[in-house]
Amino acid sequence: MEEKTLPRILGFLCKWCSSTGADLAGVSRLKMPASLIPIRVMCSSRVNPIFVLKAFLGGADGVLVSGCHPGDCHYQSGNYYTRRRFAVTKKIFEELGLDTNRIRLSWISASEGQRFVNVVTEFTENLKKVGKNPVKAEVFL
Amino acid sequence: MVKIGLYLCECGPNIAEAINLDKIAEQIKKDNKVAGIEQHKLLCSEDGKKFLVESIKKNEFERIVIAACSPKQHETTFMEVMSSSDLNPYMFQLVNIREQCAWMTPDKEAATSKALRSIRAAINRVRHHDALQQKEIDCNPDVIVVGGGITGIEAALRTAQKNRKVYLIEEQKLGGRLREYGLLFPTMQPAQEFLNKKITEVKNTGQIRVFENSKVKEILGFFGNFVATIENKDREEIEVNAGSVILAIGANPFIPTGLAKYGYGTFDDVYTAAEFEKMTSSNNITTKSGNPPKSVAIIHCVGRKRLGYCSKVCCTNSMKIARYIKEKLNGVKVIQFYKNLCLPDKKYDEFYKKTKEKGIEFLRFSDIEVTKEANQMMLKYKQENDNEDALPVDMVVLSTGLIPNPKTEDFAQMLNIPVDEYGFFKEEHMKLGPISTITEGVFIAGCAQGPHSINDSMVQAGAAAGKILSSLVPGRRLQLETKTSYVSETMCIGCGVCVDICAYGALTIDESKRISVVNEVLCRGCGNCASACPSGAARHRHFTTKQITQEMIEILK
Ligand SMILES: Cc1cc2nc3c(=O)[nH]c(=O)nc-3n(C[C@H](O)[C@H](O)[C@H](O)COP(=O)(O)OP(=O)(O)OC[C@H]3O[C@@H](n4cnc5c(N)ncnc54)[C@H](O)[C@@H]3O)c2cc1C
Ligand code: SF4
Ligand code: SF4
Ligand code: SF4
Ligand code: FES
Repeated sequence: MEEKTLPRILGFLCKWCSSTGADLAGVSRLKMPASLIPIRVMCSSRVNPIFVLKAFLGGADGVLVSGCHPGDCHYQSGNYYTRRRFAVTKKIFEELGLDTNRIRLSWISASEGQRFVNVVTEFTENLKKVGKNPVKAEVFL
Repeated sequence: MVKIGLYLCECGPNIAEAINLDKIAEQIKKDNKVAGIEQHKLLCSEDGKKFLVESIKKNEFERIVIAACSPKQHETTFMEVMSSSDLNPYMFQLVNIREQCAWMTPDKEAATSKALRSIRAAINRVRHHDALQQKEIDCNPDVIVVGGGITGIEAALRTAQKNRKVYLIEEQKLGGRLREYGLLFPTMQPAQEFLNKKITEVKNTGQIRVFENSKVKEILGFFGNFVATIENKDREEIEVNAGSVILAIGANPFIPTGLAKYGYGTFDDVYTAAEFEKMTSSNNITTKSGNPPKSVAIIHCVGRKRLGYCSKVCCTNSMKIARYIKEKLNGVKVIQFYKNLCLPDKKYDEFYKKTKEKGIEFLRFSDIEVTKEANQMMLKYKQENDNEDALPVDMVVLSTGLIPNPKTEDFAQMLNIPVDEYGFFKEEHMKLGPISTITEGVFIAGCAQGPHSINDSMVQAGAAAGKILSSLVPGRRLQLETKTSYVSETMCIGCGVCVDICAYGALTIDESKRISVVNEVLCRGCGNCASACPSGAARHRHFTTKQITQEMIEILK
């Protein structure tokens, strides 16, 4: 069955842009692998680096953080903080010797259904190459 | 154990055909985490909603998970159902198994498994939901308009109505820049006639209280409840209350003193377009020697490079001036020296054609210098093809753009709104919120936001008025965002990190307690502070770390 071999991706999507873009993909009947399960947040700036680390320790093969394009955040500057926090997360990943290919930050607008599908499809393909999450610790911090 | 009810929506064939709902029901039943599972063909239909209310009540469910479509589609629908079922609307989680599963996953098994995971996550999340109360505050429908130019006047006229007072505060006299104009483009109507009619209207509208020769000393408060301290013409301080503020403080013409080649301030008969307007409004066009000029050059785009933006009104205004001179003085030669003609309105093209028909010359230049030879002003210029030439003229009009009112910065600081790279007020969003600012209830219109024609300024004033009329209704209370943040007193270390990141100034440090507090009226509920707080004290309602983590755990199981 397809599902067993698919990488498991957690997707934090902001309500205003990325969630709407993701829904547009569905409305447009675009197809993509069933690898990513979205978690809706009001703004991508709600995504604390700890969430990403926890997801990874919880067994996620990949984590996508997605918000509005720079300058378009519904809350003015939220996504600039997201960008900075993501850079920090990447650093932590490197320090821990983890593969930074497992985390991804993408700006997806409300009208970019196709882009959402492209991002998820490409990320899924990449993760297939990277392989299953080696940590797989069932323990949660 | 808390009684959670799960409802699966078939959405006609939309979900039922793409996802095996029976299998989902079977699995969830095995998990033994919900008190009941129901399935329905169309949950959002009248019949579906009735079914929900009855079923929720009958089963005495306390929390609800609905697996259906996107929250964009029906989250509010089902929150209303929650209320009708005597449950708090936030004790609910909607799972999007239509757009995110059924419609994008061709393989039924994969779609079913993804939907199952998402539903389990929602069940795990909803058990940690807190009941949230819709907060409301009294609000004041009155309006403060700062600046009594044409924009402020129009904004006041459009907002004043029964049950809604307007305070129109003007530093000098009502009218703004227009008080010094002769004619107006593109209609060529006398400016004073147009303006006086508007001012009479203001005076006749009982609901507008005009403060002339007055200053705004301070504006405090927030959407629905602002307080302004005004210093009136007798230098008394007066306090007025209003729910919203329109900033219409306009802009100033650029004075080209620093640009030596135009001869401004050096030679007698070199004027800015704004100064020339003053002459036309007094209807007297003569050179310093007292004679009418025989030739006039109008130079476009003066200072354009220095300012860094096009002021949109100067080209058409130059043509207006040219036409005025041509009509006033018999046999006068009028030449327009331009670089690029900017005609940003469909009416302006026609205006340009008419101007040409009147025998006004247009000359494209790449460089220009105003000089004087033996008491005669000479224009030395380089054409596009690099040919150099010189032309004797009696008068030069420099068409300069508009620059921000120096007070812009003061108001920006007072009301926590940003200014753009040039110093004008910055709108919330170029396309989606061109007259709103990031501070709710504060609007910007007219030249305070950037150079605009009278017509465009008035359109903005009307748009701001429309926003106010629809959001602050007399007698209605203002509903606040429920998913705001709050600070745990025991956890907060008073570091101030959250204060700096909040784009809305919703967080402040309470000096007596040395902890941060959230102003719930200002908080828009983005959750940024909750991510930034180093001690876990700032918490985002409905998006708590616990709720998100519990959702994650199930997704990853
Ligand atoms: C030379 C020239 C000619 C023009 N001719 C035309 C034309 O023919 N047709 C056309 O469509 N457009 C024309 N324009 C553009 C036109 O001037 C503007 O569209 C118009 O002035 C915008 O009005 P406003 O109310 O936004 O700003 P303003 O006219 O600048 O008015 C702002 C008002 O706010 C007041 N104010 C400022 N600061 C404060 C404060 N702190 N407290 C209280 N009050 C304050 C000022 O005293 C002023 O009364 C011309 C522009 C220029 C420069
Ligand atoms: S609630 Fe949503 S999924 Fe269910 S029938 Fe209505 S539109 Fe379709
Ligand atoms: S949730 Fe957003 S708007 Fe509210 S206080 Fe925190 S940072 Fe400010
Ligand atoms: S960031 Fe956290 S600890 Fe620091 S002041 Fe704000 S709420 Fe308190
Ligand atoms: S709302 Fe989309 S990133 Fe802030």
